Amino acid sequence: MAVRLAEEWFATCAGCEVSILDIGEPLLDILKQVEIVHMPILMDHKLFGQAGERAEMEIPEADVGLISGSIRNEEHRHVAEEMRRKCKVLISLGSCACHGGIPALANLGTNDDILNLAYRDTITTDRNGMPCEEIPPLTDRVYALHEVVAVDMILPGCPTTPEMLAGALTALLEGKEYKLSTKSVCDDCPLQREKKVLSTVKRRLEGPRFTPGRPLSEMQCLMEQGYLCLGPVTRGGCGGSERVPRCIRAYMTCEGCFGPLSTKVNPMVDMVGALATVGIEAEQILDRNATLNRFSGAGRLRPVGKR
Amino acid sequence: MSVAVAEKFEPKILALACNWCSYAGADLAGISRCQYPANVRIIRVMCSGMVHPKLVLQALDKGADGVVMCGCHIGDCHYQEGNVRAERRARAISVLLEDLGYDPRRFKLAWVSAAEGPQFASLMAEFTEVIRQLGPNPERVAEPAGKGA
Repeated sequence: MAVRLAEEWFATCAGCEVSILDIGEPLLDILKQVEIVHMPILMDHKLFGQAGERAEMEIPEADVGLISGSIRNEEHRHVAEEMRRKCKVLISLGSCACHGGIPALANLGTNDDILNLAYRDTITTDRNGMPCEEIPPLTDRVYALHEVVAVDMILPGCPTTPEMLAGALTALLEGKEYKLSTKSVCDDCPLQREKKVLSTVKRRLEGPRFTPGRPLSEMQCLMEQGYLCLGPVTRGGCGGSERVPRCIRAYMTCEGCFGPLSTKVNPMVDMVGALATVGIEAEQILDRNATLNRFSGAGRLRPVGKR
Repeated sequence: MSVAVAEKFEPKILALACNWCSYAGADLAGISRCQYPANVRIIRVMCSGMVHPKLVLQALDKGADGVVMCGCHIGDCHYQEGNVRAERRARAISVLLEDLGYDPRRFKLAWVSAAEGPQFASLMAEFTEVIRQLGPNPERVAEPAGKGA
């Protein structure tokens, strides 16, 4: 019997849905065992009946539910609760669902700040007032999925990697457990560390030093070169079977898209604490809240100066 | 905040005192019978340099109204330069508190040697007074309804 799969998307860019497609050939094997019962990005299935005739929201029963995107308005919350009721296993797909992701940067301002910026105060905007009819109200802040409903599994990443997604879906189909890496990005990073103490943080535009064509293991650690790399405070595993983290492969610093290893820690605190110990002043990092919690703002970022 | 509430407010203060100087200083304050406010709870740490910023933030999140970190004077550290590290971290803590929206005055770093019992007592009295003026920490998470700012 085919496994029934439901998918929903909230505040998201649909990059994680592209990751599903990006699984490539293994997807064909997975699809043979899966029956997709609800997936707004792929098929026309209305929540309140095809002609809007139902009074109650209806999502079909499913064995596995995938949800990408963070909770930004009451509709998202409502659909998330319905998905939780109808899905036996619920999976947070991608960093927005897992940690708030890019949309959660909005938590640095109040809803009023954001609405004013979008609809009133920007100089190129006609002051037409805020839209208010027939649209769901915003939640008080951006939430990660697990803050709203119980979640059985998280698949972080911006976007999540096709390999992880295929691994998790295959494990579920075979009734096995799928485990995320419990190590940091640095554990998988092949760059050379020489334990040098630094004092300044460079702008990334200055360009990390490396020799094109030479293996990554001959390149010096980006943090030691003076570029802010979030590897130490970020969950590893983005490299998949190749191990080498995705951004490092492109000679770029880790941006922290997999989020922290635990919901209880704040990457900003850990990172600033660690940098202070090796002698980097926190003031050198601009816009610390957003830079160090870029993908994990749900429950961590708040309007500054408002408490 | 009304004056009546301010008068009733008794701050909870966490002092992180290093094993080698400041804790001994606190001990000396005790055996010398120096008076200082009972608002201060002391936790002994091996070195002020081991106090990670997250410990201070956790204390503030869990109900402390102020945190004071005490170590040996610069140059006197039992571990050579643990207090130099503490000083660097203290600067980071102040920045973090501001970033996270706390009042940075709720955190203080001070040097107290083993011979400075009275100084320890007056430091605690002063800091308690500062926190009393600031009022309750609005970020206490487990605060029952009706209490606090």
